[in-house]
Amino acid sequence: MPVATPGEAPALGPFGESAPLSLGVELELQLVNTHDYDLAPYSDEMLRLMSRFRLPGSVVPEMTSSMIEVSTGICRSAVQVHDELSAIRDALVKCADRLNIAVVGGGTHPFQQWHEQRIYDKPRFRELSELYGYLSKQFTIFGQHVHVGCPDADSALLMLHRMSRYIPHFIALSASSPYVQGQDTQFDSARLNSVFAFPMSGRAPFTLRWCEFEKFFNKTTRTGVVKSMKDFYWDIRPKPEYGTIEIRVFDTPLTIDRAAALAGLVQSLAAWFLQEQPFMPEEDDYMVYTYNRFQACRFGLDAVYVDPVSGQHMPLREHIGLTLRQVMPHARRVGAAYGVQMLWEDAEHGTNDARWLREKQGRERLLAEVVRQGALRFREAR
Amino acid sequence: MNEVMAVWAAWLRPSAGLPTLQWSVLLAVAAAAGHLLQRHTGLPKVVGYSFAGTFAGLAGFSGGAWPLQGIALFLLELGVSVVLFEAGGRLALRWFRHNPMVLLQSLLGSLLTGLCVFYALRYLGVRATVAESLAVISMAASPAVLSRVVVDTRASGPVTERAMTLSTLSALYALTLVNARTGVLTRQGGDVGDKLFPVLVVLGVSFVVGAVLALLLRMALRVMSPTSENTSMLLVALIAAGTAVASHFGGSAPLAALIGGLLLKQMNPRPWAWPRQLGTVSSLLTMLMFVLVAVVAATAPWNPAVAGLVAALVLARGAGTIVGVWLANWRSGTSWRQAIWTGCAMSPMSSVALLMVSQFATASAGLGAEVAGIALPAILLMGVLGAIAATFALHRARETSRSDEAEGADLAGEPLRGKGS
Repeated sequence: MPVATPGEAPALGPFGESAPLSLGVELELQLVNTHDYDLAPYSDEMLRLMSRFRLPGSVVPEMTSSMIEVSTGICRSAVQVHDELSAIRDALVKCADRLNIAVVGGGTHPFQQWHEQRIYDKPRFRELSELYGYLSKQFTIFGQHVHVGCPDADSALLMLHRMSRYIPHFIALSASSPYVQGQDTQFDSARLNSVFAFPMSGRAPFTLRWCEFEKFFNKTTRTGVVKSMKDFYWDIRPKPEYGTIEIRVFDTPLTIDRAAALAGLVQSLAAWFLQEQPFMPEEDDYMVYTYNRFQACRFGLDAVYVDPVSGQHMPLREHIGLTLRQVMPHARRVGAAYGVQMLWEDAEHGTNDARWLREKQGRERLLAEVVRQGALRFREAR
Repeated sequence: MNEVMAVWAAWLRPSAGLPTLQWSVLLAVAAAAGHLLQRHTGLPKVVGYSFAGTFAGLAGFSGGAWPLQGIALFLLELGVSVVLFEAGGRLALRWFRHNPMVLLQSLLGSLLTGLCVFYALRYLGVRATVAESLAVISMAASPAVLSRVVVDTRASGPVTERAMTLSTLSALYALTLVNARTGVLTRQGGDVGDKLFPVLVVLGVSFVVGAVLALLLRMALRVMSPTSENTSMLLVALIAAGTAVASHFGGSAPLAALIGGLLLKQMNPRPWAWPRQLGTVSSLLTMLMFVLVAVVAATAPWNPAVAGLVAALVLARGAGTIVGVWLANWRSGTSWRQAIWTGCAMSPMSSVALLMVSQFATASAGLGAEVAGIALPAILLMGVLGAIAATFALHRARETSRSDEAEGADLAGEPLRGKGS
């Protein structure tokens, strides 16, 4: 993290324009060798080979050299997200085959040792490594970020705080990081525990007006603690330059299908919010936020969900069902019905990627073999 | 040194015999030398082992009589077989289908190495048959030294992976050619069929033993976990049995082990976890191998004429490998710079080469002596310098843990430090 000189506070900049409900998806992916399936530092070679393909979106390096981040362009629908991610995935697989490595999804690598990771040689990552020490290598975790376009700045903040109520749903449906450093953490998403170690993580401040958010940003940057929006590791953050909000709690799923389905869910919720204005978020929503988030990380689809308005406790799976029933008409309208239906069925059966990983490990008793099968799963086309 | 040993022999009568005591003390010294060298210079431990063996050999240590035979030869073959089995298990044939340029890199690298060494030695007046034998031996890089360097420097990345693959393939080519060559040497005269027969026997036996080894391990892995200590012991025991059988029936033990590893990788795509489990016993075996190689190689006579030939061989070998790997790098997935570091990382020459020299010595006393006269000093030199060159290459390719630590050290001096707001 950037160490700005106090007094030179950078400006937040205007909130950009984007088509409402447009989508953009970023996926952080693991690069592993095909011998013992540990993480392998091949991001430079992958970037070089990937640059020869004409693809939508972009491919960029991440914090450590065994990671790579791919992103779609601006998409209209989950179907387009799926198509673009499929094209990128196919190119990734080709490049990986040429280098004798494999690309894998999942929120964590199950048995990598954080101290063996190498910081990618880029000034920002070096700065982060210098400030955060071992935390930066422990940040060898893999997430999916979903951007959704908002009509204007105030609408973006409103959507952000409405979306916050569904953070546990997102975590449970995408959870794919039960193993860390060779151990079952008993969490479905242990990845988010690593994010929590960073000082600027957690939730965004509760404000529904962009001018107030600007005041908050200016106050924070004046202290020199942050330099730009990039330095906030919030679960959801506004992205003024794109005119979007960015949801960052998803573990990278094991398949492109699920990644596109989760993007479709975000779009469907956003469509529901914009079309029906179903509720107004309140500061008090956040009283149960951290508890709900913990429950989803720990127990996944078997978590308990506390309704922020009524305080009623119910199985998260049940609340996901209620939510998906409400958003399904909007999902059909925006073309995300297939993915949302898939997530609904998974929620009912309690099957997420964390469970898949545990089932494989139960059968194989070898985490490296679980990674190998995860790599095969990533290659599969629908 | 022999007088000192004679005094010891008269004074001390250990139950396992004096050679056991000598070897135990030498291995203890080598272990300490490897540790101290790595700790104080950052060089891999294998350099320390080779130094200890070299000093012992130069001081007249009698534990490595040339040509190798008996238990010393078996231990060397076993050590090489364990290393080559694991190295063969890293060769994924599907990689060559997706990236045939890697295969071309290996073929061109080995071919140019052989040609450069042959013509350099011929230019310096070495007899054609000797130059030819040395050219084939020189093709083999040392997966044994390189794998120890990789472990000691905790290296990983495209250069490391490719150097290991190309070294293993070069050992495969060289072992095959040397077995064919020595097979022909034993059958002077006769028609082509008579000459080819021993070649087919050695290659056939090696393949059959390798295939049986792979099948047995494939069956074992159906019921045993690769992470189990017992699986590792089973692996070493089966390789030892394969080594004894291959040699007995006229095959090549290292070639059989390499083929066994290669076949097992194709039959069993599950991850290989046992190298981590092989642990101290395997490390002791490989250390013994490096010390033995250095002791034996150090017994070779040195004189200015030999020094010139050795220097020519080493330089020609290095140039041939680097140029070959570099020329075929186009569209192989690594940069031109990485191709040069890959070629440099392939410089070690050690136990596999020694075994091949030993094969020549067994096949023909005259030719064997001439080959050993140049090859043994070259092996001694490249056992140490090659390990250092490989370490340097992996470090410059930024694939060792040291390069990462160095970055950290550089950063420590930057003004950002301590300004955490």
